[in-house]
Amino acid sequence: MAEEQKEAKPKKRMTATKAAASIGPMVKEFITGTLQARAEGKQKLAYTFIVCHHEEIFRAMDVVPIWTENFAGICGAKRDAERFLQRAESLGLSRSLCTYALCGIGFDQWREELGQMPPDAPWGGMVKPDFMISSGQILCDPRSKWYQASQQFMPDVPIYNIDLPYPLFQRDQDHREVLGYYHRYIVKQLRGLVAFLEEQTKKKMDYDRLRELVDLSDRTWNLIEETYDLRKAIPCPMGTGDAMNTMVPINFMMATQKAYDFFVELKKELEEKIARGEGEVENEKYRLMWGGGLPSWFALTDFNYFNSKGASFPVETTYRMVAPLKEMDLPETKDPIEHLAWRWLGYWTFWYDKARKRPGSEPDVERLINRIEEYKIDGVVMHEAFSCRTWHVGLIWQLHQLAKIYKPIPVYVVGKDGKKEKVYRELPSLILESDIIDITSYSEVDTRNKIDAFIETLESIRMNRAA
Amino acid sequence: MILTLGIDIGSAQSKGMLLGEEGPLNSFECASGVDFKRTALRIQEELLSRSGKSLDEIKRTVATGYGSKSVVFADDMRPDIVCLAKGISSLLPTVRTLIDVGDLYTKILRTDGNGQVHNFLLSGKCAGGSGRILQVIAKVLQIKVEDIGELSLKSKKRVEFSTGCAVFAESEAISRLSQEVTKEDLLAGLHRALAAQFNSLAERVGIEMDVAMTGGGAKDIGLVQSFSEIRKHPILVPPNPQMTAALGAAIIARESLTG
Amino acid sequence: MELTQGKALSTVERLYQDYGFRARELKGQGEKIIGYVCSFVPLELIKASGAIPFRIRGNIFEPITKGDTLLETIVCPYYRSCFDLSVKDKYEFLSGVVIPHGCDSMVRSFSTWSYGLPYSYFHFVNIPTVCEESSFEFFEEELNTFRKSLEKFFGKTITDEELSRVIRIYNENREKVRALYELRKADPPLISGTELTMTLTAGSSLPIEEANDLFDQVVAEVKARGSSPLKKGPRILIDGACLDHIELIKLVEDLGGHVVADAICNGARDHFPKTDVTLPPIKALSQRYLDKVNCPKTYRANKAGTFEGDIANRFGDIGAYAKEFKAEGAILYVYKYCDPFGFEVPARKAYYQSLNLPMLHLEDIYSAGTMGQLRTRIQAFLEMIG
Repeated sequence: MAEEQKEAKPKKRMTATKAAASIGPMVKEFITGTLQARAEGKQKLAYTFIVCHHEEIFRAMDVVPIWTENFAGICGAKRDAERFLQRAESLGLSRSLCTYALCGIGFDQWREELGQMPPDAPWGGMVKPDFMISSGQILCDPRSKWYQASQQFMPDVPIYNIDLPYPLFQRDQDHREVLGYYHRYIVKQLRGLVAFLEEQTKKKMDYDRLRELVDLSDRTWNLIEETYDLRKAIPCPMGTGDAMNTMVPINFMMATQKAYDFFVELKKELEEKIARGEGEVENEKYRLMWGGGLPSWFALTDFNYFNSKGASFPVETTYRMVAPLKEMDLPETKDPIEHLAWRWLGYWTFWYDKARKRPGSEPDVERLINRIEEYKIDGVVMHEAFSCRTWHVGLIWQLHQLAKIYKPIPVYVVGKDGKKEKVYRELPSLILESDIIDITSYSEVDTRNKIDAFIETLESIRMNRAA
Repeated sequence: MILTLGIDIGSAQSKGMLLGEEGPLNSFECASGVDFKRTALRIQEELLSRSGKSLDEIKRTVATGYGSKSVVFADDMRPDIVCLAKGISSLLPTVRTLIDVGDLYTKILRTDGNGQVHNFLLSGKCAGGSGRILQVIAKVLQIKVEDIGELSLKSKKRVEFSTGCAVFAESEAISRLSQEVTKEDLLAGLHRALAAQFNSLAERVGIEMDVAMTGGGAKDIGLVQSFSEIRKHPILVPPNPQMTAALGAAIIARESLTG
Repeated sequence: MELTQGKALSTVERLYQDYGFRARELKGQGEKIIGYVCSFVPLELIKASGAIPFRIRGNIFEPITKGDTLLETIVCPYYRSCFDLSVKDKYEFLSGVVIPHGCDSMVRSFSTWSYGLPYSYFHFVNIPTVCEESSFEFFEEELNTFRKSLEKFFGKTITDEELSRVIRIYNENREKVRALYELRKADPPLISGTELTMTLTAGSSLPIEEANDLFDQVVAEVKARGSSPLKKGPRILIDGACLDHIELIKLVEDLGGHVVADAICNGARDHFPKTDVTLPPIKALSQRYLDKVNCPKTYRANKAGTFEGDIANRFGDIGAYAKEFKAEGAILYVYKYCDPFGFEVPARKAYYQSLNLPMLHLEDIYSAGTMGQLRTRIQAFLEMIG
């Protein structure tokens, strides 16, 4: 049915930090951990998605999460997603849909058809779950469709779908007016999740433990903020390439001591690097922001390519799924579920007030502007993954709006009369086009040609910048 | 005499420009073929023999374009965006926005008249179109690519294409042919569809006057006119617009000699 | 063989071809027109605020150009066309636009619309993804927020009485649509699928009272045909998202088939569900739009515990339509990049199999340019079932 051949093995990406280098084995460990847990049969395993603010509930109930997006990403990074994507296509699913989901559904269908893992499944494969927690959000349609589609091949596995909306930014509406009922709804949805897990595990939620875990992840949030803030240093000690590794504890290990300890270590490492004046690249010439889009997991070496041209990425908007809690002004509550719901809303509305203050701004644009200033950014790079509308629609407009309201670069241009005049220009930007895991959409030659041209543009501006 | 050479290996056509102290000495263009290395050597040889110069007079060679890595004898490789900006600034210094219509990509760039690039965009996989579709259609219509421009200007009733996507435009064009439309009207419609795509790309980067068009596509007078109609202002086209990047490369080579 | 076109259907055709001309006229007379997309916007609220809801349409004959300047090409092609026409000022008579959480394309491009278009009113209605007690409560609050936002913009209070009155008018409209569909039941149908979709599309550009009158006239005019002038052919149900043009249906009918039923937005999905007039109005609207509008965007829990039971629950309305309108084949027409429908293709395929109804799955972009390619496939399908 599908062409069961592996693609060429990817080259390993060089990391700047030891912490980032330690991530690979960590991911492998939690994949093999799910295989082991399945074999032992003591814990329940659940398919689920990142960025749902429900990790604390999972951990408190001792349910092992199987991060299905992560597994698809691994298939992509190992350049071994194509056979699962083809399987999904043969079921009638269009290649234009979220390729994480296609990869997952193709894998599930194959595993269920065989009654065992597909041959040479990456890192031992993704185990059949006891249940699936999907989430309808104002974030991603495939999340509430993926498991429903997979259930066709494992109808005995129940789904619980939690709805986690947040108020979309509207210029003439104060989001605070609606937060109350959003919060009430999310609390009910999360309590529904607790009830579902209690029923599935035949255990009662230990609210003291939940409170501790919520506190642990809150502390981890703050620690991540402090750690990532260190990347403001010149030269920058850690780039987005590494952050695509360190996203693992943020997104897959939240509410564990291990995640907290990881950032303690990373923070220490960055502080030491800064003290030694050690940057991600040896001779930092350009500071770039990864301003939108998930990376191509099979082409993370592109970050090394940027690095080889003297470009560092001190900051990204992708997978930095935390925001400073102390700046959020969250209502006090002793109920951990209520707190999770407030934190959810606090995270998604974090830039709303600031955006409202700057004419023409909008939260995503505002975040770009703030990070450009805080991290002294010279250019913005984005990636448009064709299969994912969630993170990749609106990027062109954001760059358009950014260019319209924010022109920080003074240059002299030769006017029509031959005289030099000083004008202000927008930050240069680059949009790469490919996919998260569908390697057939990627061309290394084209990508690197674009990067070369972008670097030259940055150099042009550097030379041309009015004093 | 101190000579510099710019070589632009495109996916369809390859171009070379030999630059003397006073300006261009000679230019040469040929199909890229499959062996880019040989093509590059051929360009070098042709230019030398046509100018009566010897190899040791070429003090520096800069390669650009899709196959620039195959120009093994080049001293440096530069992205075509940079070479285009350099080239157009020397040819038409008032140009701030350039649309280069190549075989694989359409490139839009903004420059400040001093050869520096400020921002750029390449046509993506779906949006935008490139020159290739014109070659495909020329084959279908059994006409020469060079004749497309003149033919399209004779159109009396332009075919309206309903898709902007180049892939679909191709199949739509072919299916329209069976509906008894004339070659002229079909070509005019295709130009309009392409020009509309260039315009949206250009608007994404931001358009500042003057606007110029280069690349093989700029030799197509019908395409330039279509774009000008959409923009509602004149579009500048340098002589031999397909040579712009090669010229830029040769200038860059010269500048790095003089420091 | 030829269908006769009387006064009502000529009006329909004009409204369809010159989409928006009546709204433009009304705007000239001082009316306020509010544009919307998708089946999820509670039109009753817009109407009760004194404005006229107007469904924003795409145009498959118009290449997407200016829209691409601001919006990615990975957006649903239908939605891109709607945006493209809007930025090209085709809907300059609008005072504002309301967009619901119908899909990611709508959510993620809301800023692009609200900053990129020159209207003074924009509102986003959040639609829950699940149907349960807490989500209905939430949705009622969200509808009240929409109500307040309209009240603020128009400076007019929307009373429950007014809302209840408008709900009844909209329910009448749905009855009239039902009456139009009744004309499809004869074999061959009395009304062609092309005529019906054209009528519904025309209706979505009119004030509801005018649409009601028009539908009455069309029903009367078509009934007056007495018997169908059409030749018998395979009876087809069309399933998919929004089909606001007639080209696909026309293609089926040119090839000898008859489109006699549908599960599309500009058809049964939008027009069949009625609002419960015994409930308080906001509660009733929340039930109608969240539960009764059967869109794949809404997650419906698998209560059966089996796949067969689940698809029977999720797609039961399709089976009922197929039976009621005696469909002999179905065309599942899905836009490229449409996540909500796209992920349901295998399940829908299985459902049609369970009904023993032959089904043709077509993936398409929103462009007249692809109709040639579809023709061959539809022709083969009709021959197969015919």
